[in-house]
Amino acid sequence: MSHGIPRSTTTSHDNKSEAAKAKERKQIENYKALEKDVTERIQAQDFTNPTFQLTSTLLAQNPEYYTIWNHRRLLLQHVFAQELASNNGPPSNTTSQEPAHDASTTTTTTPPSNTQKKDTTLSPAQREISLLINEDLTFLLPLLKQYPKCYWIWNHRSWLLSRTSRHLPASASLTFWQAELSLIGKMLALDSRNFHGWGYRRIVVQEIERLSSRGEEEGGGSMVEAEFEYTTKMIHTNLSNFSAWHYRGTLIPRLLSSRAASSSARQDFFDDELALITQALYTDPYDQSLWFYHQFLMSTLDASNPQAGVILDPVDDGVRRRYLEQELESVREMVEGAEDCKYVYQALLEYARRLREVGGTVGREEMRGWLRELRGLDPLREGRWMDLEGKLGL
Amino acid sequence: MSLAAGPGRAGTISDQLPDELRLVVDKHVSYIQSLDTRRDELEYHLTEHLRISGIYWGLTALHLLHHPSALPREGIVAFVLSCLHPNDGFGAAPGHDAHMLYTVSAVQILAMTDGFAELEDSVPNGKRKVAEYIAGLQQPNGTFAGDDWGETDTRFLYGALNALSLLNMLPSQRPNEPPLIDIKAATDHVKSCLNHDGGFGVSPGAESHAGQIFTCLGALSITGELDSFLGESGKDRLGAWLSERQLDDSGGFNGRPMKLVDVCYSWWVGSSLAMIGKLDWIDRERLKGFILRCQDAEEGGMADRPGDMVDVFHTCFGVAGLSLLGCEGVGAVDAA
Repeated sequence: MSHGIPRSTTTSHDNKSEAAKAKERKQIENYKALEKDVTERIQAQDFTNPTFQLTSTLLAQNPEYYTIWNHRRLLLQHVFAQELASNNGPPSNTTSQEPAHDASTTTTTTPPSNTQKKDTTLSPAQREISLLINEDLTFLLPLLKQYPKCYWIWNHRSWLLSRTSRHLPASASLTFWQAELSLIGKMLALDSRNFHGWGYRRIVVQEIERLSSRGEEEGGGSMVEAEFEYTTKMIHTNLSNFSAWHYRGTLIPRLLSSRAASSSARQDFFDDELALITQALYTDPYDQSLWFYHQFLMSTLDASNPQAGVILDPVDDGVRRRYLEQELESVREMVEGAEDCKYVYQALLEYARRLREVGGTVGREEMRGWLRELRGLDPLREGRWMDLEGKLGL
Repeated sequence: MSLAAGPGRAGTISDQLPDELRLVVDKHVSYIQSLDTRRDELEYHLTEHLRISGIYWGLTALHLLHHPSALPREGIVAFVLSCLHPNDGFGAAPGHDAHMLYTVSAVQILAMTDGFAELEDSVPNGKRKVAEYIAGLQQPNGTFAGDDWGETDTRFLYGALNALSLLNMLPSQRPNEPPLIDIKAATDHVKSCLNHDGGFGVSPGAESHAGQIFTCLGALSITGELDSFLGESGKDRLGAWLSERQLDDSGGFNGRPMKLVDVCYSWWVGSSLAMIGKLDWIDRERLKGFILRCQDAEEGGMADRPGDMVDVFHTCFGVAGLSLLGCEGVGAVDAA
């Protein structure tokens, strides 16, 4: 598959010179030889460092080759198991020197004293595993930068991190996961819409929460406040970020419940979010990311949407009317200066429809006018506007 | 089947009106036929991890273009069987590990080529064994992993249901036998991926994405719960989100808000709209024009966007998009 590869970057094979063709033949030969070497070594269960290095060479040439990632994990799994089997003695003292690369050195390690915090002490096997995982994470960095959309690289990172949770004490594992979170932060700063990055961030946060809440009271490790802050930061960097707004929305119900927010605190929060998005919409009413977030906030008032965000405590139609009237008024004011913005009219019609459903009134003529504008501005979706006209009884 | 891009490039002539463009059926057919003759290119070998899906994409395009026999059937079936792994899943090519994505492609190809008998000949009880491999990847929460290493994604869940349905191994297709999968848990998982905006994500809480919407609607459609779960207001919300994927400057679809258009979304978005009965919420002629501008009118094949390199993936989903819209020379397709 090729996405966005312009013609100019490649030359049709038939037009290549003889020299170029010969060079390509050589490249193919080398690639196939490397592939064969790796495959045969894995089949022979040759789980040695040279085999590991060969998988690195092959994956650097072709990070999409999922079977080779599997081979690499088989090999690492084998090494981890060997380390653990040969190091089932007591954990070493944290002050002992170099990590043991050889099983024979484990006999010289000192048992931990009772005063030591258990989690800060790694056995020689755990140290070795920790080193190997760290090295592999480092190997992946340049690949991830070069191929940020390659599923298999993200998978391999995720697997490595999951190994720290399995084989290392919680505090040591936590250090890995926290470093990962800061790496994702850097990646999302470079590409703020990377689908893999946002999904992976959710997994990493979940794991940090799980590890850090161990031994503490329920909810002790919650990162919901910090993550909410993170979305605020991302939005202030660039308002037009559908991914950040979406994540923000999914955090709100948890945020409010972790704050044990009262009804009035919830209402204040809701008012603040509405003020934030309204200000953003005044800045750029042409950005649909913002309208989707406004729609998300307003969904909390929509009894017919089972996926509505839980922000307010249950409300009656009186409260619904008040908010719908307030937002309609606010969007009406946006028309001026954005007469050619279809999203404004879409929002007006949507909130007018809902206001009428909860017993409010909006003039039919005014609504007809909005629909007329919308149809003029957005002929692509004429079928949708025709359906809407029928639904609204205009 | 080469997954390498090119050699051709999609058209760049912008002053041509959509209705002057026509689908160059014969050129697309010979483009797909030529793909396996490119073994002297490095890219052919670097894309081996997609080979079996490449055949599926090529074959699907050929079926839609009314040239189902343009690729040699015997060779295809033999290749598919050579990808069968000892664990009863299929890899992308011989020697490659089994994975849900390639197992689904293998089953789809065998279904299109009427090749299940050959599967049974080469592996006794082969259909059942493949179905068990797929079923074995279901997770306790109902979703499916791609392979034994555990990555989960609604793509794999849809693929599992699609392949099991082709194998005639869904619980509903064998009511008198113990079910191979927990269909309720699978459906519940899909439902938990629904967002307030009406779309679906890759996992619960993940943002809506047109590709993921296709897989979730496809899954609900296979289990027969699409209409009852979404309801009218759910379809209106989803239809609104999907219809906003069409961009006014090109007429093509993007996959998420504020992203670039790509011809493959003609299928992911288009078929999703069709599944909820809202294909008339977009401008079909403009979309058709965009797809036709993505083809290389001289050498065949389609690209993600006009001006880019063509490949078999985009050729398949561009042609499937045309099929959905109704286009001369293209057969009709079932959206799910």
